[in-house]
Amino acid sequence: MSRAETRTLGVICVIFALGCILVWIPLDTDTGLIETVRRRVEIGDAMAPTLAALFVLVGGAILCIAPGEPARGAGAKRPLLFCAAAMIGVLAAGVVLMLCAGPLALWLADAGRAEPREYRLMRDSFPWKYIGFVLGGTVAISGLIALAERRMTWAALIIGLVGVLGMVALFDLPFDDLLLPPNGDY
Amino acid sequence: MDVLAHVWLGILAVFQGPDAFAVAGLSVSITLVMVAAGFLLGIVVGATPGLGGPTAMAIALPILISVFGFTPDALLPVMGCLIGIMKGATVGGAVPAILFNTPGTPDSYMTTLDGYPMAQRGEAKKALRVAHFASASGDTFSDIVLILCAPFLALLVERHLDLPEKTALLILSLAFVAAVVGRSPGKGLISAGLGLLVVYVGTGEDFYPRLSMGTEALNRGFPIGTAVLGVLVVGAVFHQMAEGFASRSNTSLQPAPKAGNAGRLRWPDIRPLLPTMLRSAVAGTVIGALPGIGSTLAATIGYTTAKARHDRTRAPDAPRFGDGVPQGVAATEAANSAVSGANLIPVLSLGIPGNTAAVFLILAADSIGGFNPGPSVFRVTADAINPELVVAFGLFTCMFVANALNWTVGGLVMRSMGVLAHLPKQRLLPVVLVLTLTAIYVQETRIEAIWFTIAFGILGFGMRLLDMSPLPFVIAFILGAKLEDSARQAFAATGGDAWFLFTSPVAAAFMALSVLVVVLGARRRG
Repeated sequence: MSRAETRTLGVICVIFALGCILVWIPLDTDTGLIETVRRRVEIGDAMAPTLAALFVLVGGAILCIAPGEPARGAGAKRPLLFCAAAMIGVLAAGVVLMLCAGPLALWLADAGRAEPREYRLMRDSFPWKYIGFVLGGTVAISGLIALAERRMTWAALIIGLVGVLGMVALFDLPFDDLLLPPNGDY
Repeated sequence: MDVLAHVWLGILAVFQGPDAFAVAGLSVSITLVMVAAGFLLGIVVGATPGLGGPTAMAIALPILISVFGFTPDALLPVMGCLIGIMKGATVGGAVPAILFNTPGTPDSYMTTLDGYPMAQRGEAKKALRVAHFASASGDTFSDIVLILCAPFLALLVERHLDLPEKTALLILSLAFVAAVVGRSPGKGLISAGLGLLVVYVGTGEDFYPRLSMGTEALNRGFPIGTAVLGVLVVGAVFHQMAEGFASRSNTSLQPAPKAGNAGRLRWPDIRPLLPTMLRSAVAGTVIGALPGIGSTLAATIGYTTAKARHDRTRAPDAPRFGDGVPQGVAATEAANSAVSGANLIPVLSLGIPGNTAAVFLILAADSIGGFNPGPSVFRVTADAINPELVVAFGLFTCMFVANALNWTVGGLVMRSMGVLAHLPKQRLLPVVLVLTLTAIYVQETRIEAIWFTIAFGILGFGMRLLDMSPLPFVIAFILGAKLEDSARQAFAATGGDAWFLFTSPVAAAFMALSVLVVVLGARRRG
């Protein structure tokens, strides 16, 4: 990091730490640094987070006065940030699909029924318990591979599917008491 | 019960614990099976670039806990398996370093410097044998030091340190880790401060869960697995994938050289390696015993010390380090392997994790219960058995079982792992990522755990981008609750003395040292 980047990081940390010490911690804890309970003086809930913020404050102050290191090429971090944002997007899409696919599939399957079944009651039965995990997991894995390779291939899709089925074999088949994502939430 | 009785009970707990199966009427305990399984898995992940011991331990832990449950009987099989992974990964890291000039783990980078030139000369097998011999020797040496030192250090702490001194010692450990890990003490302090801040969310003694912003999601705090695995594993996966994407690097490896005939190590080959290995093992053990200083630094010091000595003493026509000298491979491997045992000295004697492998052992102990690493483990009373001490000696036994495996089959398994270096990272890492998230979910069974883990992964990625080590964050997260409890008790025990950290000479010395390490670190790197 260049000197300017290091100093900027230091300033951000100092501002963050001061914000914690002066605003967040006092407003979001019910006891202060020290409290008196039945005439005994005790350490309050705000003490430990305040000390933690002091660590950040001191670290930030050191960075503000540190000389910094030789600068990396300008914009060297931009592709990394772009890729990370894309990866997180793909991963989040996979998790959202994981959450919705099972209940949606059941709703579609029960579209003609007089009394549609609740997903909560079906979350541990075949095939419903696998639909969300397999779809969401496959999308996440193959999407991330496609992102890294900059093209979608059948190999990525197969690796995603086989990987997810392997996880089903690892976590679900041997154990009756474990719930695959997202079934614990229903 | 005396110490020897505890030692014997520890050994019996490993060899006569619950059976896995029987061979010819002879039962084999599940702990032995798990140590062996962990060791073999460790070699596999160590030999796979992009993976490593911490990743394998992270994924294995929830599976192991699901298999063995939360009973005291689960402690030795689960922790034995993790110890096996830790040791196996150290050995396995040398394979791609020697065969393909690609270090399997960061600490085996120095192995490439002489290992790959040896392989190019047709001495790949010899280089692998040297690496294995040095690694197993360094590891065994370090384990012996651990067993001799940890109990005495723990007894010393238990006898001479009271609550204020223990609080000051925890602060010193955090300051030391923050100051020595990574490139800048400032960044180390920020990392440690963030770890402390995060662990205090949703906790406290008041009815209102502090720092939860009144939200349902935060009022239970962050589960330890989400923070540790998020920052360490998910953050590392994000960073490795992003770097691969940004550099558009293909994963083609250097061509594997032919094995050649020069394979078997004989006494004339081994004898000149011994002084180098001994020096490196001592350096690795000393470095490993200090919290936060990893095996990469040990490998660097081991290699550079051996190189300096070699340059002084070599004949004019003898090859230099870097040209494929077996001592170069031996120096690196003995040093980085000696770290693994010594790293457990602060864990077992003080309850302070020094590296990521130790973090996972503490996580296992914390999840299962019945074993709290720290000075109280080594307490011996005349009339009763201390079950924690039995577990501690059981763990030492597991380490020696893993060493025995390393000496007997480790080399053979290691030399057959070259093919794993061909696994493309960009296809492996997404599977590891989803596997980690799934492993967290099956433990926590709520989707917030996955979101928290991804959020901590983003934090870990950001830290790596800013050249900030995530290790102080993780160690602070683990020590945070202990630090607060200890400070509360010390404050109450001293009658509400605000200066309780400075009234006893030992506590004051620890506090002064805390400031000193940070100031010296900042000046040295400034």
